[in-house]
Amino acid sequence: MTTTEWIGARAPRREDPALIRGRGRYVADINLPGTLHMAILRSPMGHASINSIDASEARAMDGVHMVITPDDIPDHVTQFPVIWRLPGQKDSGTPALAEGKVRYVGEPVAAVVAESRYVAEDALDAIDVDYEPLDAVTDAEAALEEGAPVINEDWGDNVAIHHVFAGYNALGECHYDAETFDNAEVTVRGRLKIGRHSGIPLETRGIVADWDEVHGRLTVHSESQVASLFRTELAASLGLPETAVRVLTPNMGGGFGNKWDRYPEDLLVSIASMELGKPVKWIGDRREGLMATVHGRAQVQEWEMALQSDGTILGLRGKVINDLGAHLHSVGIGPAWVTGAAAPNQYKIANYYCDVIAAATNKAPSSTFRGFGGPEGIFGAERMMDKAAKQLGMDPAEIRRKNMIQPDQFPWFNAAGAVYDSGNFPECLEKALEAADYDRLRAEQAELREQGIFRGIGISSYIHVSGFGPSPILGYLSYYTGGYEGSTVKVDPNGKATVYTGMIPMGQGTETTLAQVAAHHLGIDMDDVRVVWGDTDQTPYTGFGSAGSRSNVAAVAVIRAIEEIKAKAIRIGAGMLEADADDLEYAEGAVSVKGAEEMRSVTLAQVAQQAYWAHALPEGDQPFLEATYVYDPPNFTTASGCHVVVLDVDTKTGKITFQNYVIVDDCGPVINPLLVEGQIHGGVAQALGGALLEEFVYDEEGQLLTTSFMDYLLPSFTDVPDMEIHHVVTPSPHTDGGFKGMGEAGTFPPGAAVANAVTDALSHLGVEADELPITPSRLWGLIQEATG
Amino acid sequence: MMAQVAITLNVNGRNQTTLAEPREILADVLRDRLGLTGTHLGCEHGVCGACTVLMDGEMVRSCLLFAVQVQGSEITTIEGLEENGELHPMQKAFSEYHGLQCGFCTPGMILAGIDLLKRNPDPTAEEVRDDMGGNICRCTGYQKIVESVLGAASEMNEVTS
Ligand code: FES
Ligand code: FES
Repeated sequence: MTTTEWIGARAPRREDPALIRGRGRYVADINLPGTLHMAILRSPMGHASINSIDASEARAMDGVHMVITPDDIPDHVTQFPVIWRLPGQKDSGTPALAEGKVRYVGEPVAAVVAESRYVAEDALDAIDVDYEPLDAVTDAEAALEEGAPVINEDWGDNVAIHHVFAGYNALGECHYDAETFDNAEVTVRGRLKIGRHSGIPLETRGIVADWDEVHGRLTVHSESQVASLFRTELAASLGLPETAVRVLTPNMGGGFGNKWDRYPEDLLVSIASMELGKPVKWIGDRREGLMATVHGRAQVQEWEMALQSDGTILGLRGKVINDLGAHLHSVGIGPAWVTGAAAPNQYKIANYYCDVIAAATNKAPSSTFRGFGGPEGIFGAERMMDKAAKQLGMDPAEIRRKNMIQPDQFPWFNAAGAVYDSGNFPECLEKALEAADYDRLRAEQAELREQGIFRGIGISSYIHVSGFGPSPILGYLSYYTGGYEGSTVKVDPNGKATVYTGMIPMGQGTETTLAQVAAHHLGIDMDDVRVVWGDTDQTPYTGFGSAGSRSNVAAVAVIRAIEEIKAKAIRIGAGMLEADADDLEYAEGAVSVKGAEEMRSVTLAQVAQQAYWAHALPEGDQPFLEATYVYDPPNFTTASGCHVVVLDVDTKTGKITFQNYVIVDDCGPVINPLLVEGQIHGGVAQALGGALLEEFVYDEEGQLLTTSFMDYLLPSFTDVPDMEIHHVVTPSPHTDGGFKGMGEAGTFPPGAAVANAVTDALSHLGVEADELPITPSRLWGLIQEATG
Repeated sequence: MMAQVAITLNVNGRNQTTLAEPREILADVLRDRLGLTGTHLGCEHGVCGACTVLMDGEMVRSCLLFAVQVQGSEITTIEGLEENGELHPMQKAFSEYHGLQCGFCTPGMILAGIDLLKRNPDPTAEEVRDDMGGNICRCTGYQKIVESVLGAASEMNEVTS
């Protein structure tokens, strides 16, 4: 490896030196002089109207500086908007405090600002709220029934939206044909459920707001994954000009999408800081993290697949009911929409139809979570593939082979409007089967069963349409932000580079990745590249911000900015070398004469020095050596792959033991294999949590029963198996470098792979694992039912 | 306001006295009174292990102890592992094997790994998984943490043998 071949290198992370020393700086670590602390009074009820709030006692307590009740919120402060507003979607938003009624346990009702968190919490106890309980509804299907309690009165009912995927592809063609379903040789039906779970970053949410009265500036230390959009919305909701707001992002202890959204506390600390003229800090505790950070995934799906008796799929149609929670949050029903768009998965399904219905329930809002609806769609698709195989008596691998989009069929226009740019689905499948030794496993399975070992093999293929991107398409989808990423690259007079990005590192190594890309393309050492992030005063605006799968888009912005810098370096170098610019090239950190026998060149540092002295710049060139490029991708990129899971089920206890976990992943060319492996491992572990353990459980009144890590179980060391990762590489044809999004893909297939494996293990009993999470008790119940 | 009491601790080899309320947990005193923010709080109810520190050489959860309970003890936090500018092999291994992503669980993981190797200097992967089950990581999927701990073990065994 030459020193400049940084792309593809297992470069150590530059994030690490601080973090392994305990010198990271997370939002809870920020202590500005004079900081006051906020605690939030949250609804103890799932659904109730608020008759009155008496905070007089709390206000009079020693050490209390302010109590915020709805009456204390300035009139000009508005709710945070929903940015994905599909036609027909009900009006909604995120208010600072509950307005007249509470709709879920944990909804903020009042806030106390005091000299310490301890005192602030004491004061919460002194606030007297008179609630009038209302009938609650916590089941999404019940919420849609006539006569169900209406949660948002102005909606008239609980339907946030009923969106129909009527079978149109991106070319405007529709191949939906209901008759095929009536006349098909084989019809397969499935009813599936995914439990409510979420990202649960180990670091809870938190924020510090610091109002500077003299300059009229609000500095916010926030963990928003999308700092620029956060700045836009915070300024708008507070009635401030956007120039008055600066968002600084410290280290983030995980985001997983949950920190992409805007939250009530963002408004509350800002209101308090502006009123008191002091920094105000709120750090959520774990209970708040579980009850009042967005949830995700909860869906009921009903599918019908029509097939020929040889296993050829003739059509897929279904209904997705999304358990939305109390109101639409920042991204509206976005995830459920993506479920509808992703469900055709890797298969040649032109005849497609899907109703997506989002139902309000008395639960925490459901919104952004790693994978964003995609894992739910893949769960539906891949469970249905296995059900079809079973009904036809086919091997689950065979039915997939038969229906997969072939490598020469790209771009593929799926029947829900998504465009797949590239991939090699069959190769991913075969590679995964081979790595798992599929044929041997199948051969052994019957024998093991004789011995009382119930081994199951589960396959799940997936697509992840990522790099969410072309802004006009976001516009077409009524998604009110841009899909670009910008980057500024500045070369200093010594030839060292600084990259400015709007991306927010959440742990996925963005800083390292972008430094690698920049060093590679400038042909300099990685240590000579600094990456600046986390300050909206310095970094380019991004409407999309960080998602695990955005590095590919940001990388292109860096590459294109560097292209401009190289072109300028060549122009300046031409003067220095007294050569024609056309005869020069930029390589290995220097400008040199092409094909010259004697090496004639000037280094980037020499060129940069000239650029700053500006004594003899080419006509029309300005001093400095820097460029900004805002890259708006022309299309989404399609990552894909296949997981094969092997596990044993203990039929006496319902316990699952992993035997093997094989992953084949195609995220295009890999910038840093170490980081990609880490992202895949983490994504799979998170999805296994949702598949086997994690669930927010509410009772009928809307009480949340899982408010600690004792009840809401995160996967631990012994719950997550070792994984074996293989790669297939099909570059994206339309992005520089061919990179595809990779940070989320690990979350897509595990749910279906595990459910398919469990179903396979228990095929002799006819158990169908159709509801996630497959907890031991749930599985034990299914086994009992099947064995009578 | 509650009355404050003086608490004396030896933290990372230095005696320190601070005032704190009797109800303040050790983690808050370390973080907010002594400025040692490397100790993190992930749950405040004893499940996640992010707040792990060593007390008189034993692993404890600083969210479950009141600072007044540990008067006079020796506490080692993540900030105390570096000696004469040299990182502990466990710290190095976490970086080398990519045993961390967001870094929030990392101080607790590193201390738990050190504690494990003290008791079992040459563990198997399975023993690492069983022993460290009290520490939760939401980012890595654990595999590379296991590799980090095993890597540190072989590094440390090489040095001592
Ligand atoms: S913060 Fe102490 S165990 Fe989680
Ligand atoms: S690295 Fe993020 S929680 Fe472990």
